[in-house]
Amino acid sequence: MTTRKMVLIDTSKCTGCKACSVACKEWNQLPAEKTQLVMSYQSQKDFTPKTWTYVTFTEKYENNKMNWLMRKAQCFHCADPACVKACSSNAISKTESGYSVIDQNKCIGCGYCEANCPFGVPKVDQVKKKSFKCEGCIDRVENNLKPACVKTCQPGALEFGEREALLTKAKKRLAEVQKTHPKAMLYGLNEMGGTTYIYLLLDRPEVYGLPANPQIPASLFLWKDVIRPVGSVAFGGAAAAVVVGVLANVMRGAYRSKEEGETGHRKGGES
Amino acid sequence: MTNSWPDLQNAQAFLIAGSNCAEAHPIAMRWIMKAKEKGAKIIVVDPRFTRTASKADLFAQIRPGTDIAYLGAIINYIIEKKLYDKDYVFNYTNALFKISKDYKFEAGLFSGYDSKTKKYSTDSLSYQLGPDNKPIKTESLEDPDSVFSKLKEHYSRYTFETAEKISGIPAAKIKEIADVFCSAKPASILYALGMTQHTTGVQGIRCYAIIQLLLGNIGKAGGGINALRGEPNVQGSTDMANLVSNLPGYLPVPVNTDKDLRSYVVRNGSVQEKPIVAQLKAWFGEHATKENDYCFNYLPKTNPAVNATMVRVFELMYQGQFKLCINFGSNSLVSIPNRQMVRMGLAKLDMLVVSDVFEVETAQFWREPGVKPEEIKTEVIFLPAAFVYEKDGSMTNSGRWIQWKDAAVKPYAETKPDLDMLDAIFKRVRKLYAGSTDPKDAPILNARWDYGEHPSPLKVLQELNGYDETTGKLLPTLADYLKAPVGTVSTGCWIYAGCTGANGNLTARRNNADPSGLGLYKEWSFAWPANIRILYNRASCDINGQPVDPNRKLIWWDPVKQIWDGNDGADVPDKTKGPDTQDGRIAFRMNPEGLGRLFAAKYTSGLPTTPPADGLPPIGIRPAGLLVDGPMPEFYEPIESPTSNLLHPQVSQSPVATVLSAIPEIQKHGKAENFPYVLTTYAVVEHFCAGGITRNIPWLNELMPEPFAEISKNLANKIGVKDGDKVEVFSARGKVVVRSLVTDRIQTLKINGKDTETIGMPWSWGFAGLSSGASTNDLTIAALDPGAGTPEYKCCLVNIRRA
Repeated sequence: MTTRKMVLIDTSKCTGCKACSVACKEWNQLPAEKTQLVMSYQSQKDFTPKTWTYVTFTEKYENNKMNWLMRKAQCFHCADPACVKACSSNAISKTESGYSVIDQNKCIGCGYCEANCPFGVPKVDQVKKKSFKCEGCIDRVENNLKPACVKTCQPGALEFGEREALLTKAKKRLAEVQKTHPKAMLYGLNEMGGTTYIYLLLDRPEVYGLPANPQIPASLFLWKDVIRPVGSVAFGGAAAAVVVGVLANVMRGAYRSKEEGETGHRKGGES
Repeated sequence: MTNSWPDLQNAQAFLIAGSNCAEAHPIAMRWIMKAKEKGAKIIVVDPRFTRTASKADLFAQIRPGTDIAYLGAIINYIIEKKLYDKDYVFNYTNALFKISKDYKFEAGLFSGYDSKTKKYSTDSLSYQLGPDNKPIKTESLEDPDSVFSKLKEHYSRYTFETAEKISGIPAAKIKEIADVFCSAKPASILYALGMTQHTTGVQGIRCYAIIQLLLGNIGKAGGGINALRGEPNVQGSTDMANLVSNLPGYLPVPVNTDKDLRSYVVRNGSVQEKPIVAQLKAWFGEHATKENDYCFNYLPKTNPAVNATMVRVFELMYQGQFKLCINFGSNSLVSIPNRQMVRMGLAKLDMLVVSDVFEVETAQFWREPGVKPEEIKTEVIFLPAAFVYEKDGSMTNSGRWIQWKDAAVKPYAETKPDLDMLDAIFKRVRKLYAGSTDPKDAPILNARWDYGEHPSPLKVLQELNGYDETTGKLLPTLADYLKAPVGTVSTGCWIYAGCTGANGNLTARRNNADPSGLGLYKEWSFAWPANIRILYNRASCDINGQPVDPNRKLIWWDPVKQIWDGNDGADVPDKTKGPDTQDGRIAFRMNPEGLGRLFAAKYTSGLPTTPPADGLPPIGIRPAGLLVDGPMPEFYEPIESPTSNLLHPQVSQSPVATVLSAIPEIQKHGKAENFPYVLTTYAVVEHFCAGGITRNIPWLNELMPEPFAEISKNLANKIGVKDGDKVEVFSARGKVVVRSLVTDRIQTLKINGKDTETIGMPWSWGFAGLSSGASTNDLTIAALDPGAGTPEYKCCLVNIRRA
């Protein structure tokens, strides 16, 4: 039986070299995009159909002490993923090992995954009409190779392994890190049902531009768990109403966590 | 490195000062983070809060170019508080040697200074010698003539408070750095270009040597002074004599007064006779005989008065001293300070040949915006080079590991490995000289040059390893070279002896077993010399030959087997000579005293007490390496500085620094009234050096798309710019326009009571390539370290305004 996997992202060891981003693009054959510095040393602003992982840089200066926080961003591969729930064409599925993967043959680029992901991970390529995101290097993992980003990480900030063993290690490491960074925490332990990519953060999630309490949007429960099963039998007016509601919310951008929407990444450094 | 990359995991503390290893040597962080996980403390001193600093336990922002001030204060503290390792200082350093009565240091100058030539005579910077020509040793550190007393007196002026006024680091923080570093055993110092690129660069490193000798950290696992060398085989190219004063293996280059082999040996000691002859045998084979002085007269001789180091070469080029320049793998037009000089110099050549992977700026200098190609007569030839993964060969890393690699892919299209190009050029040149009887052509005609019809890199490595010239067999080990009579062996680089010999190509070994757990990896590749992984490891033992650190045992004297045994190869003159012999007590066999030098005194070992009967000059065994700027480090301001020297305002800058001035119309100097801010320059992890390769890789350009100027929030407010606004940065020499990066990672410093701003700029951009941008070296100054010739990239004065 396939066991559940995990990647630990220990931000206390990340040196912001961005090699993970290059390794990802190389393995997944993703082209470079035109960028400019966003803030600090960060050049990739957000996920795109061609950028599945990037490093955020947050500068925080308080009490005459500088903290430069770096975080590799990628899909969390939630245990209870909003994208899977939202997908209108059953293109996104969960693997036993804990990954959320998109079947590009089935994807129609509807954008529900993008709209509903509390972390804003999947991005629809408007030309190809397909949604793209980090696949966790499932092709490597299933062939007993580490994900490309983990393989390349020199300072040892990324670690791949069996979930239970790595969680134990993560908790031990957290206790160590908390001695110097009392606000340090594990993020993804319980969030979204427990994610496959778990962070050891040195500060509160909001400082890194992450939602403090990521949720599956309430309307999505209605859509997937109540109405859609009915709708698949007889696509009635109620289902259509939910679809309209979802789209309207997409327009307003209301599905992103309120907290993240307000502080965002740029403000993270000042919080 | 005295130690190695994996050895960093053994340290209990790091002083990372003059290195931004997370960005310039990212793989270092693998081992540093391992040490940190085991409780090591990381201290980072830098003009900016860098990505390395983000992982530090203790960070101090320093004004660029003032390292010697705070390091001097730490030396003073170690001596005053008696934090030094007394046994180590007694047994393994020259602390007890008596210094000449003529030695003085007054008002910023050491004795022997000649203000006309701006040079030191080293006569007074020497030991008191006994009738046997050996240094006189005292019993007590307190003896006023002792090296230790001189050190103590010299650094007594360096208080934490004085260092704060000079460097901007709060006195309490300097004390904290000293306390953390001195209480950790072992502790490692890491440096790179941040420490060397100053007019006092060599002396800054000397501070590290003094601190590590006092604390007893040299020769120990997890200790040492670790120079982090560049990615493209910088260590290997230095081993192969890319420095102006060296032949391969750090042999002194012959100078114009060395009229024959004997005069070379008189100047450099008898210890250099075997290596120079082995070198000549490697190059000229059977043509090099005892009768013809082993072809010593074939070697070009340099003129020390010219001292044509890298930057000076372009000045000479401008003065018309060169017709042809062959430029392999260097993007000088981007990388040389005050780079206008390069552009002007290249235009004076008849021909420029550039070999590189991409058409770098230097290869198309005539295309730079503002340059008029019709006014340039230089013929430019570009040779497309194969990339590192497209060729076989060895590369030597910072830990002196010579690592063989095979090509992963064939060279692209018509590109060729450097060796193929050089081989083809040499063979054609030799053909042109065929039949000549002119003596000046003999070196070309008689060169051994036998790497095969298609040149084999392994044959080159074998030449470096060396042969027994009587049998034609490869030398199995360094010891075989050392015990062979002069003239019977050849080595193209004596320190590489044993790397690929009768025992196979040891540089290709990939066994990562580590039985000692100390990261020695003795069967992974081959480390020079003699596969010793940690240099001076004799000092890891007490005087009786037993390890002082039970958890990090490197070597030991085995009284039963009567041999130096251990986890590492023993760095001793003779493995069979125990601690009861003179040789068995020597930890620093490459110094004439056999000791670590706290005071770099003039001294030659083995000088006869009576003049030779033949009336020729006497020959000693080994002369000491001398510094041209004093026996102990002294703080001097950078050539362009916002303030004057607090210790001796009358001698503010290094009195012997080389400041290039042959082209006054571009070699201008700025004053703080007009250029009040200190510029420091550096690389970022996303781009390498002058960006010749990395700026042509889209994935890397995506990560760092443009050059920038990092400024403090105070300075941004003062000049009215927001993060991301364009700014013009200008010095007395040039101006550039770049994006501003307003950050808390640079703070305003209080220097001698005055607010002082630092501006930081990466220098990796030029006008060509997929990512082009302003070159920071339009601003920098061509002022050089007087010994090494390294330019002061790390500090000059600039002004800044909104563009």
